Amino acid sequence: MRRRRPSGPIEAIGNGTFLINLPEQDRLTLSGFVDQLEQLLHADTQDPRVRRLFPVAYHDDPDRDAEYQNYMHDELQQSRLNSIAMVREVLAHDEPLTEAQLHGFMMIINNLRLVLGTLLDVDESADTDDIDESDPLFGQAQLYGYLGWLLEWTVSAMTGE
Amino acid sequence: MSLTTSPPPLSIPVSSQDTQIADPDVDTTETTEVDKPWIVLVWNDPINLMSYVSFVFQKLFGYSKEKADALMLDVHEKGRAVVSTGPREHAELDVFRLHEHGLWATMQQDS
Repeated sequence: MRRRRPSGPIEAIGNGTFLINLPEQDRLTLSGFVDQLEQLLHADTQDPRVRRLFPVAYHDDPDRDAEYQNYMHDELQQSRLNSIAMVREVLAHDEPLTEAQLHGFMMIINNLRLVLGTLLDVDESADTDDIDESDPLFGQAQLYGYLGWLLEWTVSAMTGE
Repeated sequence: MSLTTSPPPLSIPVSSQDTQIADPDVDTTETTEVDKPWIVLVWNDPINLMSYVSFVFQKLFGYSKEKADALMLDVHEKGRAVVSTGPREHAELDVFRLHEHGLWATMQQDS
């Protein structure tokens, strides 16, 4: 029997199921970042990386926004924690994913990009590929690029394009 | 492409710098009229991928790829776009779901 040749890191295999074709080391490393994301979600809400994950809802009405955050912040946090738990399971087992699982994976990969992009102070003109190896944020910039690549493949697998 | 380097922390290794995100700068006049619908805005940000933003619009609102792409390009080129309109409760739910997906969404009463 011929083994299917992986077309990319995320592959649609039919019937609404998907495969994550990543080496074990990448799975372990991603799990480590997911752990860091979880810790960050419990951190100080004034941290810019956390603020990016919990943006204002009423940009022109601080009172309404405070009210909104008061009852939605915990729900948003719990939603992310649920996705993190699911992603941890997905990364630990080399088995087909449902569309819902891949959707959760996609959201968490994007969360990690938001944290890193905020940390790297990414703007429209910045190219994180140009960061020099001697830069203290070189590793973070590499990871940011890697997650962008992974996210593109994830969206592509889900849209079938 | 693979993760071959030792994993960097999701934190800054030197003295932290102020990367605080400014609130969207928009000139709005507060209105308290209850009969006006609420609009949900998505703001441009340099981090979210264009393909991802378009996919989220399709997934959350059931928009066609053409409509989602057009909205995404509006966000990218004009700085923001109205992605949904309705009662306050619906707008809050849409904002929540957009935040869940990491998009920079806010809401305001239509002027």
